[in-house]
Amino acid sequence: MRSRAFLLLGIFVAVLVLGAFALRPAAQAQVPALGTAQFDKSIQPFLAKHCVECHGPTKKKADLVLHVYKDVASLVKNRKVWNGVTQMVHAGEMPPQGRPRPDIKDTEAFLKAIAAIYEEHDRTAPPDPGRVTMRRLNKTEYNNTIRDLVGVDFDPSEDFPADDVGYGFDNIGDVLTLSPVLMERYLAAAEAITTRAVLVGDLPKPNTRTTAARFLEPAIKKIDEKMRSRGLFEKDKTISSAYVLTQDGEFKARVKGFAQQPTNEPVRFEILVNGKPVKEFTVKGTDGKSSQSHEVKIELKKGANRVAARLLNAKEPDTEAKDPKDAKDGKDVKEAPKRHGLMVENIQLEGPLDTRPLSHRRIMAHKEGATNREAAQEIIARFATKAYRRPVTNGEVERLMKVYDAAESRKERWDAGVQLMLQAVLVSPKFLFRIELDHRPDSKDAHPIDDYQLASRLSYFLWNTMPDDELFALAAKQQLHPNLEAQTRRMLKDSRAKSLVDNFATQWLQLRLLANHTPDKKLFPEFGEDLKRSMLKETQLFLGAILDEDRSILEIIDSKFTFLNERLAKHYGIADTNGNGFNQKPAAKPGQPIRGKEFVKVNFADSTRGGVLTQASILTITSNPTRTAPVKRGRWVLEQILGTPPPPPPPDVPELDGGKEQLKGTLRERMEQHRKNPSCAGCHARMDPIGFAFENFDAVGKYRSKDGDSPIDPTGELPGGQKFQGPQELKEILLGKKELFSRCLAEKMLTYATGRGMEYYDKRALDQIVAALPKNDFRLSALVVEITKSDPFRLRRGKESNP
Amino acid sequence: MMHSPISRRTVLHGLGAAVALPWLEAMGPMTAWATQSPAQGVRAPNRMAFLYVPNGKHMAEWTPTSEGANYTLPNILQPLNDVKEYVNVLTGLTADKARPNGDGAGDHARAMGAFLTGAQPRKTDGSDIRAGVSVDQVAASRLADQTRLASLEIGADPSAMAGNCDSGYSCVYSSTISWRSATTPVPKLNDPRLIFDRLFGAGADADRARHEANRRSILDFVREDVATLSPRLSGNDQRRLDEYLSSIRDIEQRIERARRLPEPRRPDMARPTAIPAVHQEHLRLLCDLMVLAFQADVTRVCTFVLANEGSNRPYPFISVPEGHHDLSHHANDARKLAKISLINRFHVSQYAYLLGRLKDTREGDGNLLDHCMIAYGSGNSDGNRHNHDDLPILLAGRGGASIRSGRHVRYNRDTPLNNLWLSMLDRMGSSVDVLGDSTGRLANLA
Repeated sequence: MRSRAFLLLGIFVAVLVLGAFALRPAAQAQVPALGTAQFDKSIQPFLAKHCVECHGPTKKKADLVLHVYKDVASLVKNRKVWNGVTQMVHAGEMPPQGRPRPDIKDTEAFLKAIAAIYEEHDRTAPPDPGRVTMRRLNKTEYNNTIRDLVGVDFDPSEDFPADDVGYGFDNIGDVLTLSPVLMERYLAAAEAITTRAVLVGDLPKPNTRTTAARFLEPAIKKIDEKMRSRGLFEKDKTISSAYVLTQDGEFKARVKGFAQQPTNEPVRFEILVNGKPVKEFTVKGTDGKSSQSHEVKIELKKGANRVAARLLNAKEPDTEAKDPKDAKDGKDVKEAPKRHGLMVENIQLEGPLDTRPLSHRRIMAHKEGATNREAAQEIIARFATKAYRRPVTNGEVERLMKVYDAAESRKERWDAGVQLMLQAVLVSPKFLFRIELDHRPDSKDAHPIDDYQLASRLSYFLWNTMPDDELFALAAKQQLHPNLEAQTRRMLKDSRAKSLVDNFATQWLQLRLLANHTPDKKLFPEFGEDLKRSMLKETQLFLGAILDEDRSILEIIDSKFTFLNERLAKHYGIADTNGNGFNQKPAAKPGQPIRGKEFVKVNFADSTRGGVLTQASILTITSNPTRTAPVKRGRWVLEQILGTPPPPPPPDVPELDGGKEQLKGTLRERMEQHRKNPSCAGCHARMDPIGFAFENFDAVGKYRSKDGDSPIDPTGELPGGQKFQGPQELKEILLGKKELFSRCLAEKMLTYATGRGMEYYDKRALDQIVAALPKNDFRLSALVVEITKSDPFRLRRGKESNP
Repeated sequence: MMHSPISRRTVLHGLGAAVALPWLEAMGPMTAWATQSPAQGVRAPNRMAFLYVPNGKHMAEWTPTSEGANYTLPNILQPLNDVKEYVNVLTGLTADKARPNGDGAGDHARAMGAFLTGAQPRKTDGSDIRAGVSVDQVAASRLADQTRLASLEIGADPSAMAGNCDSGYSCVYSSTISWRSATTPVPKLNDPRLIFDRLFGAGADADRARHEANRRSILDFVREDVATLSPRLSGNDQRRLDEYLSSIRDIEQRIERARRLPEPRRPDMARPTAIPAVHQEHLRLLCDLMVLAFQADVTRVCTFVLANEGSNRPYPFISVPEGHHDLSHHANDARKLAKISLINRFHVSQYAYLLGRLKDTREGDGNLLDHCMIAYGSGNSDGNRHNHDDLPILLAGRGGASIRSGRHVRYNRDTPLNNLWLSMLDRMGSSVDVLGDSTGRLANLA
């Protein structure tokens, strides 16, 4: 359903609708009675006159025979063949050159009749939600899923071969193939992941941090390297040390020291943690010969924590003491006279006492008192349930336990056996693929997918990762279908929904081309990695704002804001956050100057740069390395924004400058001469004017008023007669085509959401989605909600009728 | 059994010191036949490789004007001067299945999809992708038990490309020349580090026996696990699962072969770290790795895509800042044609570098190139016309004295390119009767 050229092209309206509908026969549908007259009047005679001589019983050119189509039913059954026929006839490629040209009226009637037959058929056919080939996790999905499943955050898919692209996206089931190289990588990744996530064998010792006396607080003025201990002599005085922790956990706080006890009253002190007393100690004097550790176990939170010792009892200093101040100042007290107090040698914090990583504790948790085998079984059932994104069956657990038993018989440790089972889960097709087993595999009727499958469809569509606990919980209660809209809205507000920008939108707008785009260094010396990154970031932030603020999708075409950093602002000639230019009279009141690498929101007074069409990222990828390419820009708008791609060029037509006579003049003039060629004119009349509207932007998206010495002429006229001057007026015209744009975006998003290309039978669902948008002010959330509620997203049918 | 290494000096002499990469220096003989001759009863096996270049050629500067042995190298082929006696220029071959044959536009996708398969790629942007088994994979599947790797697929561009690649054809077609089955394209590796690891292993594995036992038990598990799924799947799902199983089998066979075959000698070099930022260095590194793979007999079959079909890569370092594909629609503009020639010549010089390296690697009583068949070419002839007859094809190496090289051979119009592939398969000892649209063996090679 890619073409809806008719609004622009005008003439072969219905033909193109048909032309783009791929491609499956739907034998079960009713044969439209209406079509019979049209078939006999406009189709049969045309075939006989122009086609059957070559594509008939004798010649069978290109293995195509058309004499066998004798009625409407046969035509409806072979949609793919007729799709090809109409395309070739429409493009004027058939009948071939040298054969008599059909009368234009006959051709029109022929194409219209075919289109009408299919339209009628589709209108009356039973609903068909289509069938999605089971999808392998692509690289992004794999990384995110591992992050959420195992809790290790690194890039395990770094070394995987890149995923293939179909229908413009890298999550299409039919092209996500699995090669031996990739399988090897999966095995290696599973080993790397489980080795990081789960510790096997003896646990490492907890980390101990020791603060020596001279570093304890209150700090002493001059640090004496030889200082062994510091004394606490006055009641309620404390000595302490601070520790910054990176995780919560159980710790041991320890104060090491000895008591000076001139009388028979022992020294009493307590350990404080973050100011709170946690344990009291009574220490008898030992004259410093043997110090002792005084320790307490405590739960600490990550962040700054302070461990202190506080003296609880004091004695007046011995009057015979020579110089008690020495002790007070914390100098070496060996020579000092005895004074009642605690001599602290160091304070220690040991921990976290549990040295297993969080992932280990989560994955390996099991009932206390279980045997090793029972524990293994409990662990793997829980893990496989999450990994397969549905409850695991007993049979599946039993098969996994065979891996454990085999490891045990090879004298592996029990936890090594568990680790091996985890690896097995991570290379199982049930993890690597999103398998949607059908409880009614043979039913051709549309029926809902189950709640767990719906949970995965939602989470991979909106988050590029596995479902979270809330989705799983609803699926377990079979409550997801009824709560679909609420869940969709919840998920859209989650930060993970940013994948709609990073993975859906960047592919839809073809922004991934930017990575390998290399403008000529001599012509565009300013272009480099920094500018390239900034261009991409602008578009991502802009789309991210539309997502976060739930704005209208129409703002993608035109808006009054964007995000710029200094580099890109300079590229655009924008000086401040109110969009004022450099060295010119401010159109708006002056804003903040744009400085540094950070992006700031910029509001425009006009819409020269509003919307993605005039962002440097898009302007650059639709250019040649050495110059702008209006045809590419025009085609990009037709394909990605309006969803009305022009047909591919007929074979053997030069791209520019063609013919024997050398074309002269500006790029525009040369292209206009080129368009005089009738076989080019039709499509280029649609593409070129759109491209010319952007000629004020050079091949890296910088504003210019001249191309070489010639002034830029950004005017144009569309085939319908709509005239415009420059990108702002073109954007207004595009904004008038809300229906086309919403349908285009809906098609792309539904393709991405379902992981399959759009087929003729998806038209009904798309009609519904598009119709719902105006009532909701074209908000992005409305589009997403309508997609998740649509039949292709929620339903399936069984085996293909005609595989 | 290994002999003393060739001195560093000899190697540098052979390479021309200027092009020796720092990590690719002295190394000893890596196989039994490297230093022993047929007279001693050790005969080197044949190897085959296929290099692909996109967007056709400037054919007027590619095709030699005279036939036979004493032809003059045209402009584009001049980098081959030093290895001319090892190269055949084969003119007139056709990839008929790259033609529309009723499918309309999409000549780039089809050119590559049909190049090694001789099968008409199915026009689809995603569902039901299909071409045919490619010649390299036919050889690979038949020679699988001889070497540690059945085949090696490498390329300078990643497999996946963004956007719509060519007129309703999935990007798979314009980025893949190796097809394991008609429905399973084989992605290529780009990163020299990963290629090196695949050839020689990531490093010593002290715990190898245990590691292998573990892997085996995991593979046993998944095989059994999959068996329970199959009955409940249909159509394309089943196809995905078949791919999965076939990959599992492939890995099992590799484990088995690794146990049976002698450990490959690890080249005496540092492991590459990443994809070089400079394009020429990337291409050369890939050439070096292919030479190593053949030299160490890790594999005997390789495909190497210098750039994906339809590639719009600019080549500013040879004064071509324009995109290759943009230029290839040259409309006979002399300026554009000159630039196309520059790109064509640049690619041929990479081929020449590869051949030079093979030729400078001694093997038996000759050199490695004596036991190679290195095909080079494009599925498009003239990028402007998108024609698929009269393809630019080169074949270098003597295939174990079975090919008479150093000639320009012209074939009758519309001779299938696949006839050449059939003849190459014969020389690998993996003959088949038909491959794709082949009509017989290619005459006049021996």
